[in-house]
Amino acid sequence: MANPNLSVAPPPPVAPVPAPRPVALELRDLTTVFPGDDGPITVIDGISLAVRDGGTLAVVGESGSGKSMTFLSALGLVASPGRVQRGEVRIGGAEILGRTPEQLRRLRGAVVSMIFQDPLTALNPVFTIGEQIVEVLRAHSGLGRAAARARAVELLARVQIPDPSRRIDDYPHQLSGGQRQRVLIAMAIALSPKVLIADEPTTALDVTVQAQILDLLADLQAETGMALVLITHDLGLVARYADDVAVMYAGRLVEVGSIEEVFSAPRHPYTRALFRSIPRLDGPVDEELPAIEGQPPNVARLPPGCAFEPRCTLGHGRADCCTKRPLPLAGDRAGHRSACFHADRLDQMEAAR
Amino acid sequence: MSATVTASAPPRRSSLMRYFRHPGFLIGTILLTAMLAIAVAAPWIAPWSPLDTDLGNTLAPPSAQHLLGTDQFGRDVLSRLIWGTRTSLQVAVAVMVLSLSLGMVVGAVAGFFGGWVERVTVSVIDILLAFPGFLLALALVAVRGSSLESVIVAVALAYTPRVAAVMRAVVLTIKPRPYVEASRAIGMGNLRLLFLHVVPNSLPPVIVVATIGAATAILAEAGLSFLGLGVQPPAPTWGNVIADGQSFLASNPVISLSAGLCIAVMVVALNLLGDGLRDTLDPQMRRSSGKML
Amino acid sequence: MDRLTRQLTQLAITVFGIVTVTFFLVRMIPGDPAQYMLGDYATEEALATLRAQLGLDRPVIVQYGLYALRALTGDFGASVVTGRPALEEILSSLPDSALLAFAGLAIAVVIGIPLGIVTAERQGSWSDLLIMVVALFGISFPVFWLGLASVLLFSQELKWFPALGASSGGGFLDQIHHLVLPAGVLGVSVAAYITRLTRSAMLEVLNQDYIRVARAMGVPQRRVVWRLALKNALVPILAIVGVTFAWSLGSAILIEVVFSRPGIGSMILKAVSARDYQLVQAGVLVLAVAVVLVNSLLDLAYGLVDPRLSAR
Repeated sequence: MANPNLSVAPPPPVAPVPAPRPVALELRDLTTVFPGDDGPITVIDGISLAVRDGGTLAVVGESGSGKSMTFLSALGLVASPGRVQRGEVRIGGAEILGRTPEQLRRLRGAVVSMIFQDPLTALNPVFTIGEQIVEVLRAHSGLGRAAARARAVELLARVQIPDPSRRIDDYPHQLSGGQRQRVLIAMAIALSPKVLIADEPTTALDVTVQAQILDLLADLQAETGMALVLITHDLGLVARYADDVAVMYAGRLVEVGSIEEVFSAPRHPYTRALFRSIPRLDGPVDEELPAIEGQPPNVARLPPGCAFEPRCTLGHGRADCCTKRPLPLAGDRAGHRSACFHADRLDQMEAAR
Repeated sequence: MSATVTASAPPRRSSLMRYFRHPGFLIGTILLTAMLAIAVAAPWIAPWSPLDTDLGNTLAPPSAQHLLGTDQFGRDVLSRLIWGTRTSLQVAVAVMVLSLSLGMVVGAVAGFFGGWVERVTVSVIDILLAFPGFLLALALVAVRGSSLESVIVAVALAYTPRVAAVMRAVVLTIKPRPYVEASRAIGMGNLRLLFLHVVPNSLPPVIVVATIGAATAILAEAGLSFLGLGVQPPAPTWGNVIADGQSFLASNPVISLSAGLCIAVMVVALNLLGDGLRDTLDPQMRRSSGKML
Repeated sequence: MDRLTRQLTQLAITVFGIVTVTFFLVRMIPGDPAQYMLGDYATEEALATLRAQLGLDRPVIVQYGLYALRALTGDFGASVVTGRPALEEILSSLPDSALLAFAGLAIAVVIGIPLGIVTAERQGSWSDLLIMVVALFGISFPVFWLGLASVLLFSQELKWFPALGASSGGGFLDQIHHLVLPAGVLGVSVAAYITRLTRSAMLEVLNQDYIRVARAMGVPQRRVVWRLALKNALVPILAIVGVTFAWSLGSAILIEVVFSRPGIGSMILKAVSARDYQLVQAGVLVLAVAVVLVNSLLDLAYGLVDPRLSAR
């Protein structure tokens, strides 16, 4: 409604395009290594991503491709002996990677929150859900016990837990899987974060519950204007909820773009292989990632060139693919970039179909 | 082309080597090997006979002739310690073999067959675990008479229920695995199933328990010998040497202290071995055995 | 309530099992127990009297029934040496042993549990490595050797504490003074064990998803470890304490000998050398029942810590 293009006033002389919303979370060249038997193993390699206020970025890829590790790295949660080797993490424009552990702790849960795949194991079994929400509230605010508890009841109501003032004293094992994920969402939004990272939030849940949880997240996002990062296997969810999509393979980004661009004209053979069973954006989309022939890559032993080359039907055996260094993301069609030596051939093939 | 091969082939490393990358396991193995060498070579490396008394030279302080001095009968302490290595290793190996074989059978039967067999076995294990192990061993030695065999049987019996408990727990985690159910579905007999799937899978965690059992056995043997209920003097065992030296602690502390150090080194070695095995096993097994310990 | 009933049943079965085991334990004596007790030079007449007195002339099953019935009423027969009832002998030496064992266990818990938590929190650090090496040696030295070494150091060299006896007749402070060294040695030895097991229990909990979630939500490290993780680790830690109770009773026997303290350990040892097997039997039985009782209490405590257990 505040779109300047629709305003009646004469168009401003300089900026005819709407100013893009500010970037909420931005990663630049983020790289994390773990020590290995033969030197450090790069588990995520030069990841650059951004998500704007109110926007939704989906991150897809096979398990082990580094999706979760990317965001754990960003939040300073990489377990020893792993460490972030280089890169920048900006929240609202401010660089945070160099901050002290205590400063990072204050950001986590308050400015950037995270919810996880398995709500069955993500809640502490020996504390009531109320105690756990209060713990998060009191970690970041000076709320007293009673005030924190009252706020916890409000939060439970907000995530549509029925009879919240009674359920607050329940232990996790007394709740269903869907309710537990709602409790975790309540914890995650307790401090009204700018960014919510949802790491496969519905993978462990019933299909009917999945939609409820995601609709709840979408509602909360519309209400608070927070940015949402959706880490997922489920391309159907990507199509339905995301604005942008980032595809990861073997710890590297292989394609980034708006979902319209990426779904209609994928510029990386891996993305194409992922989408093969989903011919059109408007077709049936409830598909899991299809199996791709060949072994999933071992990040400890990647080939010098493109990591996907051994499984690629397009570039397999080509000298440029397997001997050069991995190609950086390239291309500039509306921010649609990919890391393939043969992206233009892909375009032609796509057009020929 | 070669890039393709290296990309898909996981790094292959002999599984044995994995164990030796664990510093504790490595140190434990080296120490134990050294102990084994000493035990085997005892007749050649011991400077004196462990039994020959020299009443003209009792309680001598350490000297070039007697590196650790002599005891109240003039016996060379170092030689007694070297020969004592044999007793300790004998006890450790025998207890390990006995409690492993007995405990594995009992635990496997309980876990695998379930039903009343399991309930009865678990009750018996619980009852035996209620006895302080050392007390049970002490009582057994008391009624059977003191001898190396009694000590071994007593400690093995005290440790068997622990092995059985772990074995049962492991079997219970393995039983519902798909390959076991599949074998069952194609009509494989219980016994074949047991030896084909269950026993090989349960060996590592059970060996961890048995290793720690062997360490406990050495401590128990020393304790029983110290109380005069173990291997009877003048046989050279570390526990006996400590007991001999106890009366002369003020004047000749070397006797008891050096024997205690020998025990500690051996037990440290076994514990390091056990820790190393446990750390190197896959986390799932570590969990199932960790809870029992 | 259901849980309590089930536990009481379990307790009854275990105690009955202990009675059975102790009965057959002494039946493992090769040959004639009466001969064993009285030695090779006993007269045939004396042997017959003792057999009749112990009921050894009846069938084993009858003996077992009688033994079990009497044991349930607290009658464990009489000491062959002193003629006093075995229970009386035991009860008179129980307080000394209980004092030693509980003092040792208390020291072990106070040292071992915090060290286990701290080392788990700092896994892989130098302080972790140092403490774990010390703990490894702590479980590897025989407890009686630690006792001897501490007598050498603290009594004979430094003269801080008396080496022998319990000063049972002396004043309270004197008794404490005599208790420090034996209880300290027992405590340190058991603490090493508790440290190791607490550390692995905590490491297991610290690896759980809900701990990662708490960290991801910015809960401070101190709260994560000492509140959120510790309450989860409490059930395995209580189980560890239960196991070490049995262990410290065994060690207490050796400690009593090293420090010449009166107690159940010294009593059993004396009974063993006097072949007073009724007393040995009764002593082993009482200690095993004590272990079972302590562990049952701990079992009940689990339910207070973990809501999933009390719900079942």
